[in-house]
Amino acid sequence: MTLTLDPTSTAAQALPPTTKRRVRGVGRDPSVAIIVAVVVAVLLLLLGLPMSKLVMAAFSDEGLVVFTGLFTNPANLRVVGNTMLLGLLVGVCGTLVGFLFAFAQVRLKFRGKRLLHLLALVPVVAPPFAVATATITLFGRSGVVTSTLLGLNTDVYGLGGLVFVLTLSFSPVAYMNLKGMLENLDPSLDEAASDLGASKARIFFTVTLPMLAPGIAGSFLLLFVEGIADLANPLVLGGDYTVLSTRAYIAVTGEFNVQAGAAYSILLIVPALLVFLVQRYWTGKKQVTSVTGKPSGRAELITAPALRIPVLALVAAWVVVTITVYTTVVAGGFLKVPGVNNEFTLDHFRFVLAGIGSKAMLDTTVMALIAAPTAGVLGMLIAWLVVRKLGRFAGVLDFVGMLGLAVPGTVLGIGYAVAFLVPTEIFGFQILPPLAGGAAALGGGLAIVMVYITRSLPPGQRAGVAALAQINPAIDEASTSLGASGATTFRKVTLPLIHSAFATGITLATARAMTTLSPIVFLTTPGIKIMTSQILAEVDAGRFGNAFAYCALLVTIVLAIIGLINLLLRKVIFRGLLRH
Amino acid sequence: MVSSVTDTTIPAAAAGIADIDAARLTLRGLSKRYSTDPSVAAAVESIDLDIEPGEFITLLGPSGCGKTSTLRMIAGFETLTDGAIELDGVDIAGMPPNRRPMSMVFQSYALFPHLSVRDNVSYGLKLKRMSARRIAEDVDGILAIMNLSGLADRAPHQLSGGQQQRVALARALVMRPKVLLFDEPLSNLDAKLRVQMRHEIRLLQRRLGITSIFVTHDQDEAMTMSDRIVVMSKGRIEQVGAPSEVYRRPASMFVADFIGRANFLDADVEEVHGDGTATAAVLGDSLRVPAHPDVVVGDTAQLLVRPESVRLSTGAAERSDRVTGDVGRVLNTVFYGSTVEYEIETDSGNLIASVADPVADDVLELQSVAHVRVESSRAWLLPDRS
Repeated sequence: MTLTLDPTSTAAQALPPTTKRRVRGVGRDPSVAIIVAVVVAVLLLLLGLPMSKLVMAAFSDEGLVVFTGLFTNPANLRVVGNTMLLGLLVGVCGTLVGFLFAFAQVRLKFRGKRLLHLLALVPVVAPPFAVATATITLFGRSGVVTSTLLGLNTDVYGLGGLVFVLTLSFSPVAYMNLKGMLENLDPSLDEAASDLGASKARIFFTVTLPMLAPGIAGSFLLLFVEGIADLANPLVLGGDYTVLSTRAYIAVTGEFNVQAGAAYSILLIVPALLVFLVQRYWTGKKQVTSVTGKPSGRAELITAPALRIPVLALVAAWVVVTITVYTTVVAGGFLKVPGVNNEFTLDHFRFVLAGIGSKAMLDTTVMALIAAPTAGVLGMLIAWLVVRKLGRFAGVLDFVGMLGLAVPGTVLGIGYAVAFLVPTEIFGFQILPPLAGGAAALGGGLAIVMVYITRSLPPGQRAGVAALAQINPAIDEASTSLGASGATTFRKVTLPLIHSAFATGITLATARAMTTLSPIVFLTTPGIKIMTSQILAEVDAGRFGNAFAYCALLVTIVLAIIGLINLLLRKVIFRGLLRH
Repeated sequence: MVSSVTDTTIPAAAAGIADIDAARLTLRGLSKRYSTDPSVAAAVESIDLDIEPGEFITLLGPSGCGKTSTLRMIAGFETLTDGAIELDGVDIAGMPPNRRPMSMVFQSYALFPHLSVRDNVSYGLKLKRMSARRIAEDVDGILAIMNLSGLADRAPHQLSGGQQQRVALARALVMRPKVLLFDEPLSNLDAKLRVQMRHEIRLLQRRLGITSIFVTHDQDEAMTMSDRIVVMSKGRIEQVGAPSEVYRRPASMFVADFIGRANFLDADVEEVHGDGTATAAVLGDSLRVPAHPDVVVGDTAQLLVRPESVRLSTGAAERSDRVTGDVGRVLNTVFYGSTVEYEIETDSGNLIASVADPVADDVLELQSVAHVRVESSRAWLLPDRS
């Protein structure tokens, strides 16, 4: 993931943003009004319809029974409690791990910083259930480490295992957040404190930590939401520990009660949306500070052993665990029964490549390749409208586009199931046939592509907004002043300047679409095979070797596509350079 | 020093763009309101201005005075709420900006970062569908004039600030615009380069005889470059005039205060003469000074005295150490090298006096007293309420 382009490093030079210029009104340009109408219609179909149907289902008679039961029925109450506890622990542990890594990376003196950075980011690339499966192999009842090496009889299923796996999977988010903040802290603040007689420890507690408070709180909230919304890991590793997402999954797939599933999942939206809003508020504020305050230098790296040794020891220990887990994922695909019978075999890969696996690979790749460019184009259009064309409603459109990221996958999947398994009707008139399910057109593939688009729209949109916001409107005006029409300006100036952001958007979209599971499990049909849900099936059946092989192939495909896009991009850039 | 710089950077061979035909630009009742709420003041309120062909006009004023809105309306980036813009007698207010025969030089230069210098400069010519040979000729010509020939294949980010500024200017000039518009183009340059670019732009503009409108909040720029300065405040024109006129004969207290440095002394008008002068009591003396036409007898008025028009002498002061009438006390001294400035306390108020070419021995000491005299022909009497 690190090889994808940072949206801020686009070709656009860092011109000072001009605040006093207002964007043009929509009314003046009919083509803009048409584009707005199309974008709004698409967003309504992708997000508006499923979400409103979900809410309606949750508050239907059947849904209300479950919904009220959530707070009265002790069993359901425990599910809610479980979910909150899991989110809380994942938030605390993940933020702590992320902070340790970030602190070591930015502030401590040691060799191998680049390597540590890469290792900290490894979990981003792999599908999360790979970690869960590897954890069972390593630390489960007959785990390699716990049973074979240590002779313990432990149970990894449940809260402890979940917290471990989710912390491992999501701590990179906290790491990236806090690393950025630590690097942007003005070292002159430390120097000022030191100058006034504060010790290193005192500086840490009275300057560094308070300055990081928003970042720490933000990371905690983000991980909290990831923790409560995750479906894959609780399914694999939850055991008796039921959370809202697994409960909703069981309701839909086991009890065939979509209304109940909607009621369970709707509880997940509230905290997710709250965190999303808080995040937006903070990012908005952060942009202001990043313009005014540039770090005036590098802080002196800490060499004091009292701090260095314990922090580095903890980091090293976590690194060892990470490496062990991911080695297991990679190696597991080549072992007969990973952890039990460690004989080398290619059977798993043969199974995956020769059996249903090849169809799953093809289906997944094809659908991701349809969805990713669509999401990329849609994201750029929304970004263009948000930054350049819409004044007052820009915030609303931006918000709706980003919802695909904020709404938990489970919720989205159930929303799609509610909305698209049946024909869409308005006032009794059918306007759309069913889009999901085996009986729908294209074997229900349309709904899956739509979910892919919804899930992968936000990264591209964000990259586009960041790139466009960096381009001074005066550049557009210069082109106009030299005689170019609006369309010419977009083609000859705007597009070349944001095309790398566009590529970044597509890259992220592809990766996100292909590794997504939670909305997909509600929409798969016999006719369409998706790799992530196949992995889940293999894990369920206890065929871990096959699951590992799937994971390895999935990551390979994702990396290949990312590499290909980057290669194409570089080729375009090189050609551009040679021309001049 | 300055002239040698400009002479080398702009060779006489301005052949490529010599055939610019200067245009007359007339603004009639030009107004801009951003809000429909009538209680919100207009950004630009009924501006009337007649700009001669080949004239260099500066719109000067503090931020928010409407100068940029006016320029952007002329360029076509803002729609007018009311009024007309006439180019050689033809109203162009409804013409889209890309059709107007004008070019703009932006504060941020707004060079296309993905295009080389050559491609930046030829951008507009290509849109005109000119032949490749003509484009190459014109671009080479203007690059030579702007002393950029060696940099044609560089990317904008490889250039210094001054070079970027030249590219922006070349890109605008190569279009042979009838009117050249400048939106604070020098504000991103460092002080020394800014002074150099002022002279380069002015020299080039004179040579090409191109009608130019230059927006700035820097009065030095306005004073040194313009044929006429338009001083604006709160969306209205305060005064239009040549730099010396605006400096010596400001139409209002605002202009007097905004342009240059000003001392205001309380004055009682004793007599108004027919020749544009008036006699006023100031600094314990009766002075006959040039006066604003609105000054009337019996009014309290303000006498504008520029710091360099205040004369100090120590000889007279030895007779008295009290601050009365024309005797003042030195509160502060600042040595600038070419001048020394004093803050003098008098019973008509504190005033700033600037003495040129000071020698260290002559500099007055703090708290010493000095005789203060005003160069009456250089003063200007303004009505209090203006």
